[in-house]
Amino acid sequence: MSSTFSGLNTARTALWAQQRGLDVSGQNIANVNTAGYSRQRAELQSVGGNVVPAQYALSSGLGQGVSADTVTRIRDAFLEGRAQTEHAATASLTVADTTMSQIEDAFREPGATGLQQQLDDMWSGWSDVANHPTEPGGRSEVLQRSATLAAGLNTTSATLDQQWEHDLDSMGTLVADVNASITAIANYNQAISRAASAGTPSNELADKRDALVLSLADQVGATSSQNDDGTVQVRIGGATVVNGSSTLALALAGGNDPADATTDPPRLVTAPGGTPVRAGGTADGLLTAMATTIPAYKTKLDGIASQLAGQLNTLHQQGYDLDGAPGKPVFDGGAGSTSTDAAGTISVDLSKVTAATIRLALTDVRQLAAAKLSPVATGGTVSGDHQMADAIQQLRLGTTGADAGYREMIVGLGVEAASATGRLTAQSVISGQVDSSRESVSGVSLDEEMTDMLAFQHGYQAAGRLVTAIDEMLDQLINHTGRVGL
Amino acid sequence: MRITQRAIATTALAGLNKNLAAVNKIQQQMTSGTMISRPSDSPTGTNTSMYTRKDLAGVAQQSRNITDGVAVLNSADSAIRNILDQVQQARSLTVQALNSGAVNDQASQAIATQVAGLRESVLAQANEVVQGRPLFGGVSTGTAAYSSTGAYVGVGGANGIAVQPVTRRVSDVEAIRVDVTGPEAFGDPASGKDLFAVLGSISTDISDPAALSGHLADLDAVLAQMLTAVADLGTRAARMDTAQSVNANRELTLTAQLSQTEDIDLPKTIMELNMQQTGYQAALKATAQVIQPTLMDFLR
Repeated sequence: MSSTFSGLNTARTALWAQQRGLDVSGQNIANVNTAGYSRQRAELQSVGGNVVPAQYALSSGLGQGVSADTVTRIRDAFLEGRAQTEHAATASLTVADTTMSQIEDAFREPGATGLQQQLDDMWSGWSDVANHPTEPGGRSEVLQRSATLAAGLNTTSATLDQQWEHDLDSMGTLVADVNASITAIANYNQAISRAASAGTPSNELADKRDALVLSLADQVGATSSQNDDGTVQVRIGGATVVNGSSTLALALAGGNDPADATTDPPRLVTAPGGTPVRAGGTADGLLTAMATTIPAYKTKLDGIASQLAGQLNTLHQQGYDLDGAPGKPVFDGGAGSTSTDAAGTISVDLSKVTAATIRLALTDVRQLAAAKLSPVATGGTVSGDHQMADAIQQLRLGTTGADAGYREMIVGLGVEAASATGRLTAQSVISGQVDSSRESVSGVSLDEEMTDMLAFQHGYQAAGRLVTAIDEMLDQLINHTGRVGL
Repeated sequence: MRITQRAIATTALAGLNKNLAAVNKIQQQMTSGTMISRPSDSPTGTNTSMYTRKDLAGVAQQSRNITDGVAVLNSADSAIRNILDQVQQARSLTVQALNSGAVNDQASQAIATQVAGLRESVLAQANEVVQGRPLFGGVSTGTAAYSSTGAYVGVGGANGIAVQPVTRRVSDVEAIRVDVTGPEAFGDPASGKDLFAVLGSISTDISDPAALSGHLADLDAVLAQMLTAVADLGTRAARMDTAQSVNANRELTLTAQLSQTEDIDLPKTIMELNMQQTGYQAALKATAQVIQPTLMDFLR
């Protein structure tokens, strides 16, 4: 048996619930373009009778209206997890692609400004010397072009070093940013946990926190899992950096000199603790570039420089210069890379000749050893033959020479860069699909909000009509009943 | 799948970006005129391009070498021919002197002086300097092939030193010799019977018919050697000519190959650009039409 006014109460809950629904629609529409916003829904529930029927229960069997106490965020935890993984992979591949394209820029091939052209120019100069072995003009041309080539190698190596240092800088900024995000996530966690214990809604806080977690996934490949109290646990490569309101910061360890890149590469560690962290995302891309990609190309370039110096010096030292003296090394690796034996022969330690250190060792045009015959073989006079110059310019054809090695490196670079771009394109598609799946679950659809608005509006009108109906009913009872004969 | 306005906007933007990137790529090719601006555009194309550029640089250098070599060969050829003329003259003078009885002492003395003069002239021509080097001096760094006394001071072909050929590289695998040393052209000085020694002996022994006829035989031997040298130079000049046309051909082929590898196919690229632009415009129009309407447009 329900009370007289219970109908009014039902209508009141209905009015309140429809209004609440309308408010939530309003919030959704307001945030239709807000990044990271998950649409919300007022959870309408009918208020029923007693859950446990008892012998003296007074329930009429009718419900007592509707409740709209909770407003929930609509999102798919599985899709969020995938988004974190795919975003991290995309960020890592983006850096890999950028790195390769910067290395390509450093080599400026194919074209007329790269090292290949400088090599060709130098060999051409040797050929001119072979034509006119005693002419100082051709000789000084060879010296100039050799110096240009050495400078070209130095510059390319320095460009790679700069790229490495630039990556290290980016990494430093990234770590600072990550640590700030970690602190912010912990703060949001704390606020959310307090709100949960106070029973107040915290959907907007959770949205902001999840956006931060996703940006951490981009930067260092973070993954997250939900705790019971609504807070999240954030892990980076096995290290838990946020749990509730407790945090663990990251730091950058390792050398900051490109020369130490292979022995002491930059790496992420926990601070405090110093435990290595296997990062993903942008950090992974940058660390791989610094530890592997850039040093690999520097090593290849060093190999080419030392190959060039080795082959050229060997032949040149078998020849004789314009004064009849045996040839000296053409290229060396700077001070300390040469040694002189008792007979006065200079030998170059090729392991010290790198793309960064290679330089022209000859200072005078007369020192170019274009001749193969010694003064002894020519009866005491200086030979003006060109055989050594010719032999040296033939080095350009060698299958193991600097030219072939350089070409092989550039082609390898092209293949690697093209495959990096291909991987990034494929990954971007996957990442885009996951993002659109997330959007499909959590995004605000204006059409949907419009229809919801209509539904709530009509619900509100109907509830109002219910109040009127009950009012009229009671009016009948109170004002028009028992007045027979009046 | 639930489609939201934002999802449509995001997809549309991604599609438009992709279209625009394609337009950008083609435009870049059009403006630069080259298909390969970085190795990753086409690794195999890069390899071909670098190889061809290298070969082209070699061919250009070899073309210079050939031009230079032809000049040296021509100089040597004309020098020997000039000398030949004078030696012929000396020979007829010698024959004249041998006609005993027909010449008196005074006349034979005049012949001796004339032959000595021819010897000086021939010696001067044998010391001709081309591009700063004595033409017949082998690989000598000095300024003359023969001393003023007629002794060979060049390097190679005499004094126990083998001939050191001076060559010009005309292709990656072939080098053609462009010089001829004094001993090869004018006889071995070691035998004491080279051109200058023989001419000297003729002017000295002008009144000794027995010795003179011996010298005449020696002069004929030297003449034969000079003719051989001229023939040899001619053969090499012919080889140079062949090398020159091979070189020119190769340069054409390589240039065409480089162009095929690197340069854009203009009609094809323009077509592609137009197609991409049409696609881009269609995408823009479709986007404009899809993003506009919502349910709001149809509610009171």
